[in-house]
Amino acid sequence: MALAFDEFGRPFIILRGQEQKSRLRGLDAQKANISAGKAVARILRTSLGPKGMDKILQSPDGDVTITNDGATILEQMDVDNQIAKLMVELSRSQDYEIGDGTTGVVVLAGALLEQAEGLLERGIHPIRVAEGYEMACRIAVEHLEHIAQKFEFGVTNIEPLVQTCMTTLSSKIVNRCKRSLAEIAVKAVMAVADLERRDVNLDLIKVEGKVGGKLEDTELIHGIVVDKDMSHPQMPKHIEDAKIAILTCPFEPPKPKTKHKVDIDTVEKFQTLRLQEQKYFDDMVQKCKDVGATLVICQWGFDDEANHLLMHRNLPAVRWVGGVELELIAIATVREGGVYTPCILRGHRFLAGLVREKSFGTTKDRMLYIERCANSRAVTIFVRGGNKMIIEETKRSIHDALCVARNIIRNNSIVYGGGSAEISCSIAVEAAADKYPGVEQYAIRAFGDALDSIPMALAENSGLQPIETLSAVKSQQIKDNNAYCGIDCNDVGTYDMREQNVFETLIGKQQQILLATQVVKMILKIDDVISPTDY
Amino acid sequence: MAAMLQPQIILLKEGTDTSQGKAQLVSNISACTVVADVVRTTLGPRGMDKLIHDDKGNTTISNDGATIMKLLDIVHPAAKILVDIAKSQDSEVGDGTTTVVLLAGEFLKEAKPFIEDGVHPQNLIRSYRTASYLAIEKIKELAVSIEGKSLEEKKSLLAKCAATTLSSKLIGGEKEFFASMVVDSVIAIGNDDRLNMIGIKKVPGGTMRDSFLVNGVAFKKTFSYAGFEQQPKKFLNPKILLLNIELELKSEKENAEIRLSDPLQYQSIVDAEWNIIYDKLDKCVQSGAKIVLSRLAIGDLATQYFADRDIFCAGRVTEEDLQRVAAATGGTVQTTVNNIIDEVLGSCELFEERQVGNERFNIFSGCPSGQTATIVLRGGADQFIEEAERSLHDAIMIVRRALKNSTVVAGGGAIDMEISRYLRQHARTIAGKSQLFINSYAKALEVIPRQLCDNAGFDATDVLNKLRQKHALPSGEGGLFGVDINTGGIADSFANFVWEPAVVKINAINAATEAACLVLSVDETVKNPKSESAQGEAAASAMGGRGRGGAFRGRGRGMRRR
Repeated sequence: MALAFDEFGRPFIILRGQEQKSRLRGLDAQKANISAGKAVARILRTSLGPKGMDKILQSPDGDVTITNDGATILEQMDVDNQIAKLMVELSRSQDYEIGDGTTGVVVLAGALLEQAEGLLERGIHPIRVAEGYEMACRIAVEHLEHIAQKFEFGVTNIEPLVQTCMTTLSSKIVNRCKRSLAEIAVKAVMAVADLERRDVNLDLIKVEGKVGGKLEDTELIHGIVVDKDMSHPQMPKHIEDAKIAILTCPFEPPKPKTKHKVDIDTVEKFQTLRLQEQKYFDDMVQKCKDVGATLVICQWGFDDEANHLLMHRNLPAVRWVGGVELELIAIATVREGGVYTPCILRGHRFLAGLVREKSFGTTKDRMLYIERCANSRAVTIFVRGGNKMIIEETKRSIHDALCVARNIIRNNSIVYGGGSAEISCSIAVEAAADKYPGVEQYAIRAFGDALDSIPMALAENSGLQPIETLSAVKSQQIKDNNAYCGIDCNDVGTYDMREQNVFETLIGKQQQILLATQVVKMILKIDDVISPTDY
Repeated sequence: MAAMLQPQIILLKEGTDTSQGKAQLVSNISACTVVADVVRTTLGPRGMDKLIHDDKGNTTISNDGATIMKLLDIVHPAAKILVDIAKSQDSEVGDGTTTVVLLAGEFLKEAKPFIEDGVHPQNLIRSYRTASYLAIEKIKELAVSIEGKSLEEKKSLLAKCAATTLSSKLIGGEKEFFASMVVDSVIAIGNDDRLNMIGIKKVPGGTMRDSFLVNGVAFKKTFSYAGFEQQPKKFLNPKILLLNIELELKSEKENAEIRLSDPLQYQSIVDAEWNIIYDKLDKCVQSGAKIVLSRLAIGDLATQYFADRDIFCAGRVTEEDLQRVAAATGGTVQTTVNNIIDEVLGSCELFEERQVGNERFNIFSGCPSGQTATIVLRGGADQFIEEAERSLHDAIMIVRRALKNSTVVAGGGAIDMEISRYLRQHARTIAGKSQLFINSYAKALEVIPRQLCDNAGFDATDVLNKLRQKHALPSGEGGLFGVDINTGGIADSFANFVWEPAVVKINAINAATEAACLVLSVDETVKNPKSESAQGEAAASAMGGRGRGGAFRGRGRGMRRR
């Protein structure tokens, strides 16, 4: 901020620490902001589409992440610039709401900013640009609804869902076995979905991973997998028709919460105390036995004495199972009888078809499978893969696929992918632009151009001639009046995305356009950046 | 030698900075103008936003005058007055914070040449006061009442006011959508002045169109213990018990200590504690409530106990939310579980846990007393939602104000032009210096339409001349004309539904004049040397010393106990 001078020519300070603050205003601020936004978009541009590349990200403490997922890349990049942070949040909110299309939304926002820069240089007021974008956005979203198709699926007919998930997975590193992963994802979502309310609680799907094996070994378990083993090595590893007692109390003599002291002044007293403790363990085990439990799963630990006792009484037990997992087990299994003991031991018996411990390869790692649960409302996807990074990336990809499946259950409209929807919108927006009087017309047309950048990036990443391909597709769309022509990334030989079975969800696409417009508007509206200089 | 010198009289402490006289006054005015220049560009529907980030890395993107002024961290003593009037406008009417700062700055700017020419400030002050009095009277006369209309009509009128406020904000693109939401929520809470009954919840993700209004209460799912998922998540017409106690196994008395000499009694103590909690839980169940909410923790034991009995519970509900639930459902917050009668239980039509974005929300809707509303805001970025919340706050305040003294005036600079014309006309009847001053006051008022044009990139002089011509028409038909932000021309603001509550304008003119007069009346600043900060450091180091001492003592005691 320029210093103000009083009548004697002495500068005076108006803001605290004025000298240390830098200030950018007017067109300079907008240009700086736009270039920051564009820089972020440029990073993600190459990750778009089935032939998109992955990024390797190393965290300060040396952890390596390899990913293709826009939201993850931005999250791990740890950007510093304020405007760039807005782009990160943009991608994150797409992730929260839709779960997929996190790269596309940033690329679109970047393209919008790029177009806006040109308009600003021609002297168009930034707010008019933003307003034009908003109008165009509305046209595009309506047009999407127009070209969207409903599609039917049912509990038995999951093929359409699988196809859509495959589109999502095809851009990931796991596209080698996208078919099987897509099937797993869809089955998992169908298992927990509440089709009447169109609600899917993704918390009920647990994604667990273990290094080793190959990607094809990834499986869906109608039950729970816990990364724990039996508390005693000699306990049985295989329990059919298990009746599980789930305990959230510690398996030890309870202590009163009130401050207390036990005065022990004689040996006898000490003996009684000890005996009491022992008896207490005994009682607890007995109570578990009484309700008919054949397996105890405990949230907390118990000491070796209790362990020995459990072993002795032939009651297998698992300790230190986390609260969330415990809850999932309780949901997956069926409660039998409301056995409730009004004292220390609260527990129900939960029925599970089979509990088995499985060890992997040559390692000593063991995991506990709780399977064939009567009420398979909680499921686990168990991911295998060559190394940790692959597993992490697979988990993220499966998460995307799960979200896509969930979105279709919520709203079963789809649009076609491969950039076809964007091209179609772009045509619609440009046609509509001519009807608007005023400066906004330019902004609307620029919006149409920005929409083209997604198919352009797709083509670029697939090694095609971007402009040539785009114009070919566009002309075909107009010629045949067919909104389903997109970029042929996989070299199948047809532009028609219906034949290629490339689907995306309608709400996902709409959300992308809406969010990108919103954030771009926000960035354009800033004309003054006040920040500490050391930034 | 030294003894020979005249002893100097030291009146003020060494290093004290004094500046006085006309020069000081002029420099104060320049400082205020600089501050007004900062917020200048945020005015109106084409106003821009400011991005401010501080040393701590917090970022705010805002269009709200009061917020910007607060964050600028102004230290200049005269300029601080502007911050204060922005704040007071914010707390008094909630909107027009930019306007008030801009007006004050402009009044001062107009006064500056007079001061430089040697006019006594008090003369100026007196004329400004008269002018402001006249202006306010004129506003009252021009204001249109919306009293006595049917509820439906009133609603749409209020929505217009809200839309005008929102049009200058980031969420301006969806102003109709939010305006009706704001009006619904304000009408829902009725005539009470309990603004905290409108809850605004922020959930990142989604677009702003995904925001929704709950006629009741909604809050984020609280932290839950194992067993929570077993509870039912949807109730029709449930009874709701509101508590302010912990439902957890814990020591009943902090300062009590139990001494046991007989180990056999150990168990009985344990049992006694368990019985206390079971007793409490049992009473909750006995009351017939299907939903138990507590401000304090509800432990895992209680969670599972309730799950067994198909009761929903949520612990650690924030005070605000609990109060809102109480108001909405007609229940009363209890601090004990003894003697719960039906009257203290609340009820609502539907309770549901629903997924909103990435969060799960507890939503109570169809509440009998209906005096609460919750707006769930969605948006693409944190800063976006923050700004949306501030904008909605402004709109809520405006609607509430308009509901109370239901008179509106035409916005878009129309009212300012009209007052300006009126004052100029009036000035001609005055003999003496005052004529000039009132004229300059009138000129200062034109800053609003001028800035609106400037921000929109129009030719301000051109538009202003058109406006002056319209307003000067003897028939008075042009009195409602303001800047047309869409075409760059002029238009009838009133017919285009650009409305502001009269009270906003009255308050703004009042506060701005007050502030200008205050600055004008100052002719000396005495600034103490930086003794305060030195003292502050000393105090801080003393504190540190004490803190260390305390830590040592604490450790010592621990040793002894062991």
